[in-house]
Amino acid sequence: MVCFVRDRGKAAAAFAFIVMALSTSFARADSAPAPDPYHELETKYLFGFTEGADIGAEGEQSLEFETTTQWGRRGGVYGTLEQEVEYENVPTQNFGYELSAHTLAYDVNGVTGAADAAGVSFSGLSTELRYLVIGRGPGSPIGFTLVAEPEWARIDDFGQHVTDFSTTLRAVLDAELIPNRLYGALNLIYAPDVARSPGASWAPTSTLGASAALAYRVAPKVTLGGEAEFYGAYDGLLARNWQGDGLFVGPTLHIQFTGKIMLAAAWETQVAGRASGDNRGLDLVDFPHQRGNLKLEFEF
Amino acid sequence: MRIILIGAAVAALLAAPALAEDAAVKLVLKNHQFIPHDPEAPAGKTLAIEVSNQDATPSEFESKTLRVEKVVPAGGAVTVKVRALQPGRYRFFDDYHEDTTEGFLVVK
Repeated sequence: MVCFVRDRGKAAAAFAFIVMALSTSFARADSAPAPDPYHELETKYLFGFTEGADIGAEGEQSLEFETTTQWGRRGGVYGTLEQEVEYENVPTQNFGYELSAHTLAYDVNGVTGAADAAGVSFSGLSTELRYLVIGRGPGSPIGFTLVAEPEWARIDDFGQHVTDFSTTLRAVLDAELIPNRLYGALNLIYAPDVARSPGASWAPTSTLGASAALAYRVAPKVTLGGEAEFYGAYDGLLARNWQGDGLFVGPTLHIQFTGKIMLAAAWETQVAGRASGDNRGLDLVDFPHQRGNLKLEFEF
Repeated sequence: MRIILIGAAVAALLAAPALAEDAAVKLVLKNHQFIPHDPEAPAGKTLAIEVSNQDATPSEFESKTLRVEKVVPAGGAVTVKVRALQPGRYRFFDDYHEDTTEGFLVVK
């Protein structure tokens, strides 16, 4: 070293540089690698109207604002906008629940088979119970959850006063087709319902459905996707008489702004369907032409 | 004889929780890094994960695949219980610093 570096100051500087370089490289070797920005996502709200199997982490609580809109029926003007305020809690690693209050704004004018109505009303209460049967993760490429959503409604989808009790039962299956990038989900749905208008007798009906969705993460916080849903409407709690069916398709969006704030949006259009006794395409008696959904979640 | 058998059965019932005792995992959070970064745990046993936060700010220990989350106060410690797990790598993180603070529980 003395031979090559004549100046002592320069030698000291060179030595210090080498020590610093070595210490930096050792520090890098000791410290953890930088986390992959595409870390795990909760799939519950990833697929629009189709649900994902995740239920959240034990101890998680959140406040959610969910807006659902429906547009288009035969013969006139039809539009509703339902606003739900939801409290969600996950008390165990396999069970979560939600409590919801609903308000409905409606504008029904000249729709075939429906009375005109317009206004805003408190429309009902509901809960959602989610039981995680199989958790997605090491040891299982799929998640499987059973969901029950009992609901009491005092205003129906046409703005009419009713007493309505329903439960949507849902079997939810999902999978990461490409880890932390591409997700898929399947839902099977059965929704029995009994409703009574003032002065009328109870009317039992039911809905059977199936949906499928794919979602791809285009950025660490942004996921885009598409879904298809098929619903059949029936008289009777056990799907006795077919009344109509509709096929919906549409895009989905999911943005995880932070670990605590999430936005999910979906829009779907009825592209095929038929109502009992009506040869025209689409079932606009039992289902709307368009549906939209927006969820905003704040975890605390 | 009958008393002895009953006593043995009661003793066995009381001992059962001890036999099913959690395996313990200890984590330290310091300078917003988990130490150790890749702790190990046995498969098929319930776990008690103790997280000590040596930083001056609170953190939230969370894991999507372990399905737990709990706030760890600055200078404090919490213990979370986790069900028996299959072998594999389970990511955990500080939800207040998810982009920088993570680790992996290696279950064998």
